[in-house]
Amino acid sequence: MKRKLLSLVLAVIMTVSLLAGCGGNSTETTEQTVTTAEEKATEGTNAQETTGASDGEDPKLTKHLKILSIWAEDVDNGVLINEMCKRYQEEVNPNFTWEYEVVSADNLRQKIATLAASDDLPDLFAYESGKPIADLIDAGKIKNMTEALEEYDAMDSLNPAAVSLLQTLSGTDDIYDLPLGLNVEGFWYNKELFEQAGCEVPTTWEEFEVVLKKLYDAGIQPLSCGAGDKWGATRLINAYLVRTAGSDAMSRAANGEAMYTDEAYVTAAQKIKDWADAGYFGQGVTTVDMTTAGSMLMTGEAAIFYNGSWFAENLNDETQNPAGEDGIGFFNVPVFDAAVSDENSYSMNCGNILCFSEKSFDEATGWFVKYFAEYMGDLAIQIQGTVKGYTYSETPENVTGYTQLVLDTINGAQSAFTWFEATMGSEVSSTAQNNVQTLLAGEMSAEEYMQSIQEAHDLSN
Amino acid sequence: MKKVLGNKTAIALFVVPALVIYSGIVIVPVLWSFYYSFFSGSPGLKWEFSGFNNFVRLFMDSGFFDALKVNLKYISIVMIGQVGLGLGLSLVFYFWLKRFKNTIRTLVFFPVVLPTVAVGHLFQKIFEIQPNYGLLNSLLDSIGLSSLVRPWLGQAATALGCLSVMDIWVAMGFYAVIFYGALLDISSEVMEAARIDGANGWQLFKRILVPLLRPMIITCLIFSFSGTVKMFESAMALTNGGPGNATRSLSMYMYDVSFTYNNVGYGSVIAIFIFLLCVVGSRIIRVFDKEQL
Repeated sequence: MKRKLLSLVLAVIMTVSLLAGCGGNSTETTEQTVTTAEEKATEGTNAQETTGASDGEDPKLTKHLKILSIWAEDVDNGVLINEMCKRYQEEVNPNFTWEYEVVSADNLRQKIATLAASDDLPDLFAYESGKPIADLIDAGKIKNMTEALEEYDAMDSLNPAAVSLLQTLSGTDDIYDLPLGLNVEGFWYNKELFEQAGCEVPTTWEEFEVVLKKLYDAGIQPLSCGAGDKWGATRLINAYLVRTAGSDAMSRAANGEAMYTDEAYVTAAQKIKDWADAGYFGQGVTTVDMTTAGSMLMTGEAAIFYNGSWFAENLNDETQNPAGEDGIGFFNVPVFDAAVSDENSYSMNCGNILCFSEKSFDEATGWFVKYFAEYMGDLAIQIQGTVKGYTYSETPENVTGYTQLVLDTINGAQSAFTWFEATMGSEVSSTAQNNVQTLLAGEMSAEEYMQSIQEAHDLSN
Repeated sequence: MKKVLGNKTAIALFVVPALVIYSGIVIVPVLWSFYYSFFSGSPGLKWEFSGFNNFVRLFMDSGFFDALKVNLKYISIVMIGQVGLGLGLSLVFYFWLKRFKNTIRTLVFFPVVLPTVAVGHLFQKIFEIQPNYGLLNSLLDSIGLSSLVRPWLGQAATALGCLSVMDIWVAMGFYAVIFYGALLDISSEVMEAARIDGANGWQLFKRILVPLLRPMIITCLIFSFSGTVKMFESAMALTNGGPGNATRSLSMYMYDVSFTYNNVGYGSVIAIFIFLLCVVGSRIIRVFDKEQL
């Protein structure tokens, strides 16, 4: 009797647990029927007005937004996105809910590729601008943001410089993504170490080489570089290449007008190889990631570090930056030949951008986009002291020295060039990044490095 | 019992559901992969029929051959290391360990249950060089061998070796425990008889233990082979493909091709190659098994 009772109880538990799964689904469907009824009611009233449900008040439609991001909730843009969603839910639309998923930046392209293939892209996701986004545009998977922003009357909230940068990167007249940054890049340096070695901020490339040598002779590690993250090193090649061969050097090689194996390109690769051989990067640079390289600059273990203006977020954080409010300075990539590329030309980008899936873009998403575009500028300045490519209404008053420095630099930039991999397809970009580590470790020559990029380019075209 | 197992319908009832699920989940995708290998691009984005192009490309792809070399080097070092050291450890347990037997066996087995990513991070710190010397470099520096201090994971020459060391360390406890169990099965009378006949340590090992342990050694080699040919997580956790492509295995190359470069068709061809490699490798190991019998 006891055994029979036990087996009966277990059988019941098994069946109940199966039913619980079904139960969940039925509640979701009831929610959906309610939503469609609501939306129909709102659409009904709106249909009587003139076109443009985008005029007037937010109709507070029920929406569950699925977000895929590469930043954890409490880091970098993760903070901004979550805060934005929270404020939208509290202040405008209480029927708005969201779920936030994080994937590592290394796996982002793979994850999106898989989701695109199974037609299951998240409603909102972070992605890389440049060639990667062009593929998604061609396949019609992402929403045309120019259309969306104009429909909801939010186009003015975007910084025109950001818009023009995005247009160049996707090679289209309309933009298909939202920026999460309007960043300049250059060399950050530790002022104390510069004083110690008796160096001055260089403006020409010759002066730069002299500074590096002086620092090295004074026993200071001249450069820290995140070669562990690969892109930290290719930025340096790009810097020298653009100054010597012009800001369109990479795009010329990508569309066949020039070869990656031409002299200018090989010389650029040779430059950082020479630096590595001379010991300017310290030992084992290929094991150092960008975060470590940054903290080495801030703690005085290295003198110069190439990074973007988003680095201001780390510099503003007292716990990360012992050098204090005034300890780190910034200079643009030194000029080699002012006729080819002058000192007002900066490496600029819009950071990792945000895309909306075409399939799931509806009216509710449109209202969210409007709110996002209008308030992101202020939010970013308020919380992090960073610029994200949106117009901000409150002129920042008590911003830190670093944020002011970044704002001044961005305002002073007159022309822009893009990063090393911007014009490269997936396979070429991976080859360029993987092999830069072999180059820096001294196991590949500069000619071989550029040859491998040229081969990958030929194979994938 | 006999009545149930003798009844054909009963057997079918037990076996068929599992067989159906197994075929659906395991065999169908493999066949699907063969089908995919004749296409290029990614399903959903630019999917085109390309015949045998992918197969031709395989033989001209330097990335593929580099990954194959990495795989073969890794398989040979790690297989022999894991099984060999496992066997050595089990002999130590059997012949020399007198006190604290359980504690030592537990400690040796412990790395097997550690999560791969945790072990990867642990060894990253051990091999570290910038900004501070890790365990290995500090030791070398302090005993005066500073010339040997180097970026172990930062150069292609040593990265694969370090990865192998990590994987051997993780799994040798596992094989030690298996061989120890097998050793316990050997009756001590055989050993005593051999000793009385004048066999010394090495002869005892070579002529008595190895033949008796042969089935277990073959089994462990096949086990180790199937683990190493799928080299993926440990390389990802430690070096993410390594400086350049120094620790990028066939599985990782296939993953890159299929998901990063959006070329699932070509990735399927690489998958077929890995499949054939497994089959051929297992066959070769089995050859040694049959010889004796």
